[in-house]
Parts: sequence; structure tokens; C-alpha cells
Amino acid sequence: MPAFQITVNGRRRSVDVDADTPLLWVLRDTLGLTGTKFGCGQGICGSCTVHQDGKAVRSCQVPVKEATGSSIVTIEGLSKDGSHPVQRAWIEEDVAQCGYCQPGMLMSASALLTAHPHPTDGQIDDVIGDHICRCGTYPRIRKAIHRAAKGGAE
Amino acid sequence: MTSRRDFIKVTGAAGAGLVLGLHLEAKPRPGEAATRTFRPNAYLAIRPDGRAVLTVPKSEMGQGVRTSLPLVIAEELDLDWSRVELVQAMPGPDFRHLGTGGSTSVSTTWTTLRTAGAAAREMLVAAAARNWGVPPGQCRTEKGFVLGPGGKRAGYGELAETAAKLPVPKTPKLKTPAEFRLLGRPTRRVDGPKIVVGKALFGLDTRRPGQRFAAVLRCPVVGGTPKVWDASKALAVRGVKAVVPVPTGLAVVADGTWAAFKGRDALASSISWNEGPNGDFNSKDLETRMRAALDGPADTARSTGAVVPALAAAARVIEAEYAFPFQAHTTMEPMNATAHVRLDGAELWVGTQSPNTAQERAAAAVGLKPDQVKLNVALLGGGFGRRSGTDFSTEAAQVAKAAGGGPVQVVWDRTDDIRHDQFHPATLHRLKAGLDSHGGLGAWSHRIAGGAVLRSWLGGKKAPGQAETEANGAWDLPYDIPALDISFAEVEVPVPLGWWRAIEIVPNVFARECFLDEAAHAAGKDPLAFRLDLLGKRGQVKLGEEELDIARLRKVLELAAGKAGWGRTLPKGHGLGLACHAYDRRTYLAAVAEVSVEKGKLRVHRVVAAVDCGIVLNPDGLAGQVEGGVAWAVSALYSQITFEKGRAVQENFDTFPVLRLPEMPQVEVHMVASGEAPSGMGEPPVPVSIPAILNAVFAATGKRLRRLPITPSDLA
Repeated sequence: MPAFQITVNGRRRSVDVDADTPLLWVLRDTLGLTGTKFGCGQGICGSCTVHQDGKAVRSCQVPVKEATGSSIVTIEGLSKDGSHPVQRAWIEEDVAQCGYCQPGMLMSASALLTAHPHPTDGQIDDVIGDHICRCGTYPRIRKAIHRAAKGGAE
Repeated sequence: MTSRRDFIKVTGAAGAGLVLGLHLEAKPRPGEAATRTFRPNAYLAIRPDGRAVLTVPKSEMGQGVRTSLPLVIAEELDLDWSRVELVQAMPGPDFRHLGTGGSTSVSTTWTTLRTAGAAAREMLVAAAARNWGVPPGQCRTEKGFVLGPGGKRAGYGELAETAAKLPVPKTPKLKTPAEFRLLGRPTRRVDGPKIVVGKALFGLDTRRPGQRFAAVLRCPVVGGTPKVWDASKALAVRGVKAVVPVPTGLAVVADGTWAAFKGRDALASSISWNEGPNGDFNSKDLETRMRAALDGPADTARSTGAVVPALAAAARVIEAEYAFPFQAHTTMEPMNATAHVRLDGAELWVGTQSPNTAQERAAAAVGLKPDQVKLNVALLGGGFGRRSGTDFSTEAAQVAKAAGGGPVQVVWDRTDDIRHDQFHPATLHRLKAGLDSHGGLGAWSHRIAGGAVLRSWLGGKKAPGQAETEANGAWDLPYDIPALDISFAEVEVPVPLGWWRAIEIVPNVFARECFLDEAAHAAGKDPLAFRLDLLGKRGQVKLGEEELDIARLRKVLELAAGKAGWGRTLPKGHGLGLACHAYDRRTYLAAVAEVSVEKGKLRVHRVVAAVDCGIVLNPDGLAGQVEGGVAWAVSALYSQITFEKGRAVQENFDTFPVLRLPEMPQVEVHMVASGEAPSGMGEPPVPVSIPAILNAVFAATGKRLRRLPITPSDLA
């Protein structure tokens, strides 16, 4: 059984798991990066979102063999110190309630801002509309994304 | 006021600083014996280095208790909020009744927390005054320091050891709300910085040395058991270590979650079940039984006047049936627990709303005494009542014991989480209203039929207060109606039932406030004016053993209506609807919804909420709870669990839809300034939001939706 080579948060890692193992479980169980969350296991809720070569992907839907050679960034690697504009905006707007879905939200929001530095409400709907927050923090997520787009201003 | 015995000084070890133990007890649940001990069980410590360490006796599930409760102590103590550290309480000798639910965390701890903070502050002032040789009255406190005459200044830390030797003041002086510096101002959630970097640890994030992972193959029919299976199917999966029978099914133990899931699925392909007695249970037959129960015997929750003759004498009687479905909780973090069971003891890591019950039941399940089980309370990735249940923590202990060896994390996937929920029960409601010739409401009858959550909670026993619990929100309607009859007709359901965000109050207030709207229209009156008339100019009204302040409810109703522009001209296809309720006779809310229906599609544009929950501890946190409650309510318009052949039909978010961002209404929150003791806000926004929205649908379309969930044909 060959080991798979993936780069996670800038570190090259070799993981010896079945080829169909979703990236989610490699991150959480093999590499101990528990910031990426398990929500539905079917790509419906977005809790497990990470960046694969800069694009937001559902890590529960990416078999490890398809991540080989990719650069993966998780919530732990989004910034060194929580200073990414979306992380700061999330704090400013006090977005989180239970907080469980928020790492996935932050990964999608940061990818959105890379693609569209000043996203419209419609673009936010398109991206965050594919996520679920059961606590209902949606209004603050929208505000936080707009705040991050404005460099932290309200 | 807290009695002297409610908090006592604890002599800490040398160098521990000033340590106060408080007595904080959760209110016993209905049917539980009230116990009263005076063992100190929540600790407030001022360390010699100036840190303040506060123990949080409630579970954090997003409602903000880890922020709001310490804030109360910090306020009275004049602590430097940035130097407060939190410790999560663990069940055991110090905490015998940990439990979080019912939106009671603030109301049940407020006085004790304040008094303790104020007492500690007075002791620190007395210590400084003694050191300086000045009267305490010449000293004041600010952000962790005592300030004295002539620019004298001493940190709490350096005073702590001296203060610890002083007597605890019997009646410490509490601040007036005008003196608050922390309470009433927006305070950010303490766990926010960890959440945004992925370092907040939920139960599922537990990682122990040597930990294995397990998935349990459970019979999809409640009460069913495995008949024949082939364990080799699971054991053939790489990483699977064992298949062990447990009371809930067959546990597949592996070195990773994915291997456990794969092994479980492989095992499922080989298994046949003894489905037991519930293999025929289905929603359709249950509804037939519920409808029959509407005509059968029932337990009275409240009866005033003689409703039958009053209805007979009414100029006009209206009648309607309302229906609310089974619901799942679907916390974003699926159920899970991690357990390590040894011969002489056990340790659990679990996000739970019921730490002591979880500890006791896990201990009993593996043959240990509760105090042999150490239970660590993790953050909860959503609770909503689901994590009041202990099925998942007990099961984890059973799996860990059966598997032997080190710690095991039992992970439920989303299908497990939905299919094996402790469901919010379906209910049918029959309401009758008698109107006099002037449109006055003289008689009101509300009968509820459905499963009893309380009985399921108590393991099958019927508690004396069952009808009041199941009819909560219906029996405590605030309106002045001469003849009332509110009753609950229990219908047996085989599936486990549990508390859901805002519990039975959701369906009961939905039916009550929508039907009241029907009565207003039948009487030819404006729904706001009709409610205001029925509330009247009354003040305190006794309901059961509690008092309800009608004036406070009236005020939030008028405030919400005013802010929403009740009566204004609306765009075509739009409608406004309103509802109000005094949640558990403590938290007063009114909501006005603005909706539109276009091409059969409902859109909730805005919900304006006015709330009076007494003194507001953290307005930003409170607004978040209202926003979340509205989101929960909108989700409940569309979601349901149905049963066929003993199985829950829905298995994931594709068939159990919940609200997403594009459909989130704008939420406005208006808070009534109040000096009353604070009450909770986690649940109360849910019950008023649903009828406000559905009454708005009627205003917009003339269609009265009496049955949830809304189906596409309802508004076509």
C-alpha cells in the first residue's frame, strides 16, 4: 500500500491510508488537524471546507488520492496568528455562536475574497448558501465578509 | 436574595489567593426530586498573580454562557475582563446537578453570581483598607485594583491572601444597573478567537493517546436487535480492529473514523434484524390515533370558567385543527462521545447538556459508581436540547468497555444522528373559540394530542405535571378570556422523544397565536387591537404558581408593532403578521413578520422582535440569540421527520432541509430597558416567530396555513 504525499499548511506529509479515504479524515484522524469539521459526510453542509490549490473544496468529498500533489490549507493554516482579514472580521462582528461550522465558513469566505475582493450579496449568497449554520449566524457572516472586503472597516 | 449559606469561603491551599465557593444548583427537572446541599460548588478565585479564575457551571452550546455568566461576577467584582480565566465545571462531589437547558442559565444563577462577586470585592477592599489603615469607605475599585486615598493603589492579586483571612460579608452591597461597566454593553464571545483558528475543542475533537474510533450499526427500527450478521465483512476492511455487540447494536472499532464507517457499512450489507414490535410504526397511522385522541380523555392543564356552556352560548364558534410534525435537532456536530473504561474507573469526554446524568448513566452502564467516572465537558457543536440526552455518552462507555483497551471515540454520522435522534414529537391541536355578538372572545378551548416528551425523558413514567409540561405555551396564554380549557391527550409513540429548542412551546404557541389571528379576523378586528384588548390594562396576573406581568407583554407587543410599521401600506403581495408570548412566564417577546408570496414561493423579508428579558447582560449576544431563534423558526416551516415501516425516512440535510443564508430574513431586535432580574433568550424567539410568519402569509394571501411543514401546493 503506497503512502500518499500531500502538502498541508506548507508541510509535506506522507500518509499511509486507503486511497478512498476522504481528505477530511486524513486531516482529522491521521494528521490531528481537528479544526476541519465533520458535518454531513455528503458535501451538503460545508463544515469540512478546506483550500485545495487555493480553491474551496469539501474535504469529505475529496479522496486522498485526488489530493496527492496538491497544496492543502486548513483553518489552522489560514494565517499564522488568526490575522487573516476574515478571521479578524469574524471577531469584530462576533459571528460565531456554537462555532462548529465556522472554520468551513471562514475557508469558503477567504476563497471568495481571493476570487472576488469586493463580493456582492449575490456572490456571498452563492458561496455561503452552500453552507449550513444551525445556530443561524448568517446575518453576521454576511456582514463580516463585507467588513473583511473593506479591509476591516464596518 | 441569596441567603448567607448560599456562598461560603473556602480555605484554599497556601498561595491559592482568595477562593470563594458558591452554591449553584440547577433547578431540578420536572419529576426529579429537589435536593438541597450546601456544599460549595462554583469557584471564584483571585490568584496572587492577579488572575481571576471563574468556574462555569453551564455547558456552552452557542448561547453564550461562558461569556455571560463570568461577566456577571466580573461586573460586581470590578475585574479586569481581559484577565479572567474560565474553568469548565465537571460533575462530581462539587457539582451534583449540572444541567443546561430551558433558557434558565442566567435566571437561576444571576443572584448568586452577583452576590459572590460583590462579597469578594468587599473583602478585597477590606484587605486594602486594613493594609493602608483607612476606612473601607474611602476606597473604591476599578478593573482589578483597589484605589485608596492619596493615590494608593493595590492589585487584587496582592490583596488576595489577606482578603482570604477576612469574614465573608453577609449582605454585600450590589451595584445598581446605572453603575454597571460591563453588563449592558456588547461583549464578544470569549471562545471566538479559538473558534476562528480552529482551536476550539468540541467533543468530536477529543484526541487521546492510543485512541480508536467506532461506528455503531444500529437497527433502523427503534427496539430492533441484530439477528444474523457476518463480522468478517467488517474485519476485512483495512483498519478495522473488532466488531463488538453493545446494547444499541454492533460497534465496529477501527484505527480511524473512515475505517469504522466503511466497516460498519460492510457489516450492514450482511445483517438481518429482529425488528421487534415497532416495525409497522408510521406517521400516517399515528396521525389517525392522534385525531382520535382529540375526542378521547385528556389531562387538564388549565381550566377556568365553564368552557362548554360558554361555547354553547357564544354568538359564533370557530374551530380549527393545527398540526406540527416530528422534528430532528441536527446539531452541526453530530452526536459523539469518547470513553476510556478501566476496571477501576472511567473517563469520558463529551459535549453534554446533562453532565451529571451522563456521568451517572455511563457509570451504571459499565458497572461503576458515578464518582469513579470522570466526565470532561467539551464545547457543544450545537445543543438545542439534543445533548440533554445521554444515549450517546452511555453508548460510548458501553463500546469502550466491550472493546477493551484504551479510549474509543464513538462517531455518529449524519444519518445516525437524524435517524436515532430523540425527536421533537408530532402534535395535533384542536382549537375552539366562542365570540360574542360584539366580537369579544368569551371561550377558548385548546386540546393537544401527541407523544409526551416528559414521559420519554423519565424512562416511561408519567409525571404529575405532564399535562402542564406538554401544554406549556398553550395553558399560559396571557389573554383575559372568561372560560378556558387547555388539555393534553397523550398518544403513545415508540420512538424516543426529547427537548427541542423551545420545546413544546413551539407547536403550542404556533397553534395558539395563529388561531387567535383567526379569531380576530372572525370578529372583524385588527389582530393587534384584538390582542391588546384581550391583554387589557392588567398588571401582574397569577398563572399557576408564577406571576406574569401583562404590562410587560403589552409593551413589547406595542413596541414590535410600532417598529414594524403595523398598519402601513405594503407592497403588493406582502403581508404583516404578529404574535406574542411570555416564555415560561419570564421572557416577554413579540414578533412582527413581513412576508411575500410570489408564484407560490414564500419569502420572509423581515422579522421585527421586541424583547423584555429584564436586565440585558450582553446586548450583542442577546441579538444573536434572537437572530438564531428566527433562523430556527424559518427552518421549522420546511423540515419534518416522518416514519415509515418503523424507520425515520429522512437521513441527511438533502431530505431534512434547514435554513440557508439566501433565505435568512432581516432580523431587527428591540430591547426594552428594564431593571428586572434577567431571564433567558436562547429559546424564546422561536415560538413567536413561526405564528408571526404564518399570520403574515394569511395577510398576504388569504391562505391560512394550519399544518407544518409548508408544502409547495399550500401556496400554489
